[in-house]
Amino acid sequence: MPLRRAVPFLSVAAAGVFALLWFVSPSLFGQARAPSGVQLPASYRAPRLADGRPDLNGIWQAFVTANWNLEDHEAQAGPHPELSGAYGAQPAGQSVIEGNEIPYRPDALAKRNANFQNRLKADVSEDKTWHALGDPEAKCYMPGVPRATYMPFPFQIVQGTSQYVLFAYEFTSATRIVRMNWQQEAPTDSWMGWSRGRWEGDTLVVDVTGQREETWFDRAGNYHSDALHVVERYTPASPYHMLYEATIEDPKVFTRPWKIRFPLYRRMETNVQLLEFKCVPFTEELLFGKFRKQAAR
Amino acid sequence: MRTAFLILLMATPAFAHHAFNAEFDANKPVKFKGTVTKMLWVNPHAWIYVDVKKPDGTSEEWAIETGTPNTLLRRGLTKESLKEGTEIVVDGYQAKDGRRRANGRDLTLPDGRTLFLGSSGTGAPSEKK
Amino acid sequence: MRHRVLVVFAGLVIAVAVGLVSPLAGQAPKKYNAPKTPWGDPDLQGVWNDATSTPLQRPANVGEKGTLSDEEAEEFQASLAHELSRDRRDGGNAADVNRAYNEHWMDARRLKITADKRTSLIVDPVDGRIPVLATVSPERQKIRATRAEAAKRFAAGLPEDYTDMSWPVRCVVRTDVPPYLPTIYNNNFQIFQSPGYVTIAPEMIHSARIIPVDGRPRLHKNLRQWLGDTRGRWEGSTLVVETANFRLDEGVLFQNANPATFKITERFTRVASDSINYEFTVEDPTTWTRPWTALIPWTKVDPGEQMFEYACHEDNFDIVHFLTGARLREQKGER
Repeated sequence: MPLRRAVPFLSVAAAGVFALLWFVSPSLFGQARAPSGVQLPASYRAPRLADGRPDLNGIWQAFVTANWNLEDHEAQAGPHPELSGAYGAQPAGQSVIEGNEIPYRPDALAKRNANFQNRLKADVSEDKTWHALGDPEAKCYMPGVPRATYMPFPFQIVQGTSQYVLFAYEFTSATRIVRMNWQQEAPTDSWMGWSRGRWEGDTLVVDVTGQREETWFDRAGNYHSDALHVVERYTPASPYHMLYEATIEDPKVFTRPWKIRFPLYRRMETNVQLLEFKCVPFTEELLFGKFRKQAAR
Repeated sequence: MRTAFLILLMATPAFAHHAFNAEFDANKPVKFKGTVTKMLWVNPHAWIYVDVKKPDGTSEEWAIETGTPNTLLRRGLTKESLKEGTEIVVDGYQAKDGRRRANGRDLTLPDGRTLFLGSSGTGAPSEKK
Repeated sequence: MRHRVLVVFAGLVIAVAVGLVSPLAGQAPKKYNAPKTPWGDPDLQGVWNDATSTPLQRPANVGEKGTLSDEEAEEFQASLAHELSRDRRDGGNAADVNRAYNEHWMDARRLKITADKRTSLIVDPVDGRIPVLATVSPERQKIRATRAEAAKRFAAGLPEDYTDMSWPVRCVVRTDVPPYLPTIYNNNFQIFQSPGYVTIAPEMIHSARIIPVDGRPRLHKNLRQWLGDTRGRWEGSTLVVETANFRLDEGVLFQNANPATFKITERFTRVASDSINYEFTVEDPTTWTRPWTALIPWTKVDPGEQMFEYACHEDNFDIVHFLTGARLREQKGER
């Protein structure tokens, strides 16, 4: 075959080898591994919407076990092994945190541990202590940001060319509106927070304030205060991956800001769609069962 | 044309707001002055907590149920709009279970102005670039 | 003089034509060309409000009139506003406590009738009333009777269990189950569009109907949802939306329809830069004698007004108030 005609063939073959090596051994390309094991790829360029912005539309899901615990965790029995055996047990997972651990202030750690002890308790008999006990996830409360991102459920990004991007989460059909280049501050607190977005190159940066202090980061009881400030970064990494990073800042609870990082995967099933996980009815017995009329003796 | 309007009147709402007389007692109207200690800007009902001075000088706390805060937020009010220490007059009905809880049928400032009637004056939310 | 007679006659002809408006004439007035999204779909985006005082069904005392004259409409609107106003304190304490709050906690637009001066939101049948079937099956009667008993206990302030309260009071669904109807507040919807989808997010309760418009198949009938499963398509500049697969729990669908046989088609047409016509047709041969249709105008309210989160279950203290209050009163001997 003359070289002239072989060049395209060889280019394609070379690209194939390149791609294979890229996925198999990124360290060949001189990129240092971050402790979390994920690195921003150098060169993927996402398709564009009509306004020139990267198209993040789709159904996405995280496959880390961060919802059990953001930090390193071993497999262990779940909350009620005598009832649920292996069903309710916790899998092992590596920390998604840069630096491995959450930098709690020393006086703030006790509350995390108390949260964990009380994660499946609930006592809503008094308004004032309605939120004192129990993992909000178990009570089917909206999970806040970033937890909504790594719940074991898909979410959908609905992005057009307007000033609004909708994030819709399958868990309790939670939604939040990301308002692009928006000045107004959060008028009050909300469970999913007040989200304002902007583009930095191909990365969607979302600044989240005004979150209800009652949300947790995970089932291990990791928590925050009303001073929570989260900055998320969504960066398309391939047609099927998006890299997610969130910086968490809360001076009342942590000694410094800290970051979590993991990939998001595009759900690829034919005709995949968000379904419903309206979990309120699953929690009513736990929350309200004890207030029913008791049978007369 | 003014006859029998109550029948077939309002577009039947997709959800029927719970009947207030299921929770609050029409036979127990209350009207008192109290000092705001806290307002919870939450749905489905915002709550205002007030300290009410009793004749003997001690005070007791009342929880006042109000409407959806979203209506107020759309007029430019925020969670800062009702400051701790504000005196308000509560005109409502006490909870049927006798607890110190009432619906805020009419809430006013001591000078007679209706609480939250206007906007905060901060202007509508906007998207300044 | 003759000119004036002709003008008056022409006016009468138009008035008659408007008064006898055909149910399906709620289509876009011919002149408005809705803008399009960059990918070519008619643009319905924005924050929209559907509040109105126009009742779903025509009240008995307006006779057969489908629409009113200017003067009649003014009187109609004033009467409705008077009835609905929460600023009234008359009628005794029992009436007063049920008004709950002042007007400014409510959606102000709900005291206005629709701009086209109709006497009902229902446009078909022409009598403006829901064509209710005389009887439902004995099985459904039994279910309804059980729910009515529970509702009675709840209204008396003596619910026995959380199941005595309705799905909306329990914060499972509220305005978000189609069809969308005006209510006392938070009558807002935000429409988002992206290639292949139109998404409608009602404010109460914080959910979103992400509607594929690319012709993909719907869910199999074995997979059922509280909000059903929705597919859309464009017919000219109208978004036609069909929803099926509603869960079989009774008490979710409005007007006590039967989830097993209920069908709904909704149509969204942008008729002006600040107006969408929302039309829905519902049918259920086990509940109504025939399909019926209502038309509700939506008004654009952004950017001045925005959607705000409506969390519900998270701080639904009243569920406990109702139950613990009932237990306390039972102890005191109330039944």
